[in-house]
Amino acid sequence: MELQAANPKTLRSSLVWRLTVFILLLVICFIFPWIVSPLWLRIGTEVVMWAGLAQSFNIICGYTGRLDFGHGAFFGIGAYVTGMTMTLLGWPFGLGLLVSGIVSALLALAIGYPTLRLRGAYFAIATWSMGELIRQIATILDITGGAFGLQLPAVLNLPYFYYIMLLVTGLTYLTTYLLVEKARFGYKLLAIREDEDAAEMVGVNTASTKNWAFALSAFFPGVLGGIYAYWVTYIHPDSVLGGQITDVMCVMAFLGGIGSLWGPFLGAIVVQLIQRVLWVVWGEGTFYLVIIGVTICAVILFIPNGLVGLLEGTGLFSPRESVNELRKKIKW
Amino acid sequence: MELLLQTFIDGLLMGGLIIIIGVGFSLCFGVMHIVDFAVGEWVMLGAYTGWLMVRYFGHDAMFYLPVIFIIFSALGWVIYPVILQVVSGKRFNPAIMGLIFTFGLSITMKGGALTVWGYHIQSVPTWLTGKTLYLGPLTIPGLRVSGFFFGILVTLLLLAFLYKSRYGNVIRATAMDRDTANLLGADVRKVGAVVYSLYAGITAMSGALIGALFSVHSVMGAKYTMLAFFVVVLAGMGYVPGVIPAAIILGLLQSFVSVYIGGRFNLAALFLVMYGVLLITPKGIFRRGW
Repeated sequence: MELQAANPKTLRSSLVWRLTVFILLLVICFIFPWIVSPLWLRIGTEVVMWAGLAQSFNIICGYTGRLDFGHGAFFGIGAYVTGMTMTLLGWPFGLGLLVSGIVSALLALAIGYPTLRLRGAYFAIATWSMGELIRQIATILDITGGAFGLQLPAVLNLPYFYYIMLLVTGLTYLTTYLLVEKARFGYKLLAIREDEDAAEMVGVNTASTKNWAFALSAFFPGVLGGIYAYWVTYIHPDSVLGGQITDVMCVMAFLGGIGSLWGPFLGAIVVQLIQRVLWVVWGEGTFYLVIIGVTICAVILFIPNGLVGLLEGTGLFSPRESVNELRKKIKW
Repeated sequence: MELLLQTFIDGLLMGGLIIIIGVGFSLCFGVMHIVDFAVGEWVMLGAYTGWLMVRYFGHDAMFYLPVIFIIFSALGWVIYPVILQVVSGKRFNPAIMGLIFTFGLSITMKGGALTVWGYHIQSVPTWLTGKTLYLGPLTIPGLRVSGFFFGILVTLLLLAFLYKSRYGNVIRATAMDRDTANLLGADVRKVGAVVYSLYAGITAMSGALIGALFSVHSVMGAKYTMLAFFVVVLAGMGYVPGVIPAAIILGLLQSFVSVYIGGRFNLAALFLVMYGVLLITPKGIFRRGW
C-alpha cells in the first residue's frame, strides 16, 4: 500500500469546519454563566471539572497505556493540600492551588519511579492500593481532620468558580494538545503505549518519559481538587479520596474515547449530564450506578474507541493515530 | 500470652475463609489472564442468594452451598463468552479492556444490589451460630472453625482436580502456554469457560459462607475484592498453591494489627504490605506468579 495523499480541498474544508465548532464551543463556555440558572451553573462547573480530570486520566491511560486505578488520589491530595494551607497556614487561595498542583506532581514522581516499572494489571493493582493507602492515611491522621474532614472558609460566588475551573481545564487540554499531541514527548508516549520494549530499543528513555507523563497527569487533578475543595467548602476522605472519583474519570475517558484529545471532554459532558438528569428525575438513588456499570460494559464491548471513534470520518475530530494505523499507511 | 494465642487463632480462622476467595481468583487469572474486579461482587451476590434461599425455603444456610455453587457456575458459563470477546478482540489493550469490563460488571452488580435491597444489613442464622468451642482460656467460634475447614477442603479438592486429573492437566497446560496448548489439541475456549464458571461458583459459595459468618449487605463486595487482591498479589498471580499461605498471612496480619496497633490501621497496613510486595517481588513471595 502506498501513502495516500489527502485532497487539499477536503483538508481545508475540514479545518474550517473544525475551527468553527471550536470557536462556537469557546463562546458558549464563556457566556455560559450569564445564560443559565444557578443550578445549571453548578452542573456546568461540575462538567468542566470532570472534563479536566478525565483528560488528566487520559494522559496516563490513553497516551501512555498504563491503567492508573488510583488517579483519584491526586484529586484528593490537591483538595487536602489547598484546604490545609488555607485553614492551618492561612495562605491565599491561588498560592494553595499552585502548591497543591506541585505537591501532587512531586508525589506522582515519587510513586511513579518505583511503580511505573510494573505493567498492565500489576500497575493497576499497585496504584489502586496506593490510592486506598492515601485515603486510609487521611482518615487516620489528625492534621487532616480524620474521618470528619476539613471545613474551608465559604465563598458564595458561582461564576468565579466556574471561570477558574474553566481556566484550569482549558490549560489541561492545551497542555495535552501541545505536549502530547504535537510534540516529540507525545510520540515517545505513544511508542511506549504500543510496545515498551521496542520503544526502549529505538532509544526512548522509557523510565523518565513515563515518569514525566505521570507527573504531568497528576498536576492537573491536584489543582482541580484544590478548586473543588474551596468550591464545596467541606471535604472528607470519602468525598475526595474515595474510589468513585477514579471510577467516574475512567468511565468518562473510556466512553468518550481513550487516547484522543476530545474524547474525555465528550465523555464528561455525557456522563455528568446523565447522572444529574437521573438525579433530578429520580432523586437520591443508587440506580445510576447500574446505568454507569452497564454503560462501561457496553462501551468496552461495542465501541472500544469511544464516542470519538463513532464520529470519526465526520471531519470534526482528527482520528486517533495508533502506530498500527500508521503502519497500514506506510509500505514496509 | 493468652491474648497472643487468641489473636493467632482468630487470624488463622479468618485466613482459612479468605483462601476460598483467593483460590478461584488466582486460577481465573492464571488461565485467562483476566483480573476480575468483580470478585467481591460475586461474594456479595452469593451471600444474598444464601440469605434469600434461607428466607424463602427455610432449612440451614450450609445446606444450600452446593446449590449456590451450581447456580453461579451456570451464570459464569453464560457470562464467559462476553468476557472472552472483550479480551481477545482487536482492541488497543486487551488486558486493560478486560479489567475495565469486569470493573463495569462490578459497578452494575453493586448498583443493582443497592437498588433492590438497599443499605440494610441482613444476617443468616445457621445452627452453628452462637456455638462456641472453649479450649482452656481460648474461645473459638464454631462457625469460624467450620468456615476454616470448609475453605481448606475446597482448596484441596480444587488442587487435587488441577494436579491429579486429566482435565486439570489440560487447564494447567493452558495456563502455562495458551497457544501451545491449543496446538496440542486443548480446547482453550472451553477450558476458559470451565475455569470461569468454577471461579464464579467457588467465589459465590464462599460468599454464602461469609454471609452466614458475618453479615450480608450490598456494599460488602469492596472489602473482599481488596482481600482477594491482597492474597493473589502475595501468592503470585496465577500460582494457586501459594494462596493457602498467603491467605493465612493475611488473616494473621489483620488480627495482629487490629489487636496490637489498632483497628483503624488495619486497612492501611494491608495496602502498605500489598504495595510493598508488588514493588519488591511482583511475582509474589514465592516468585512463582505469572
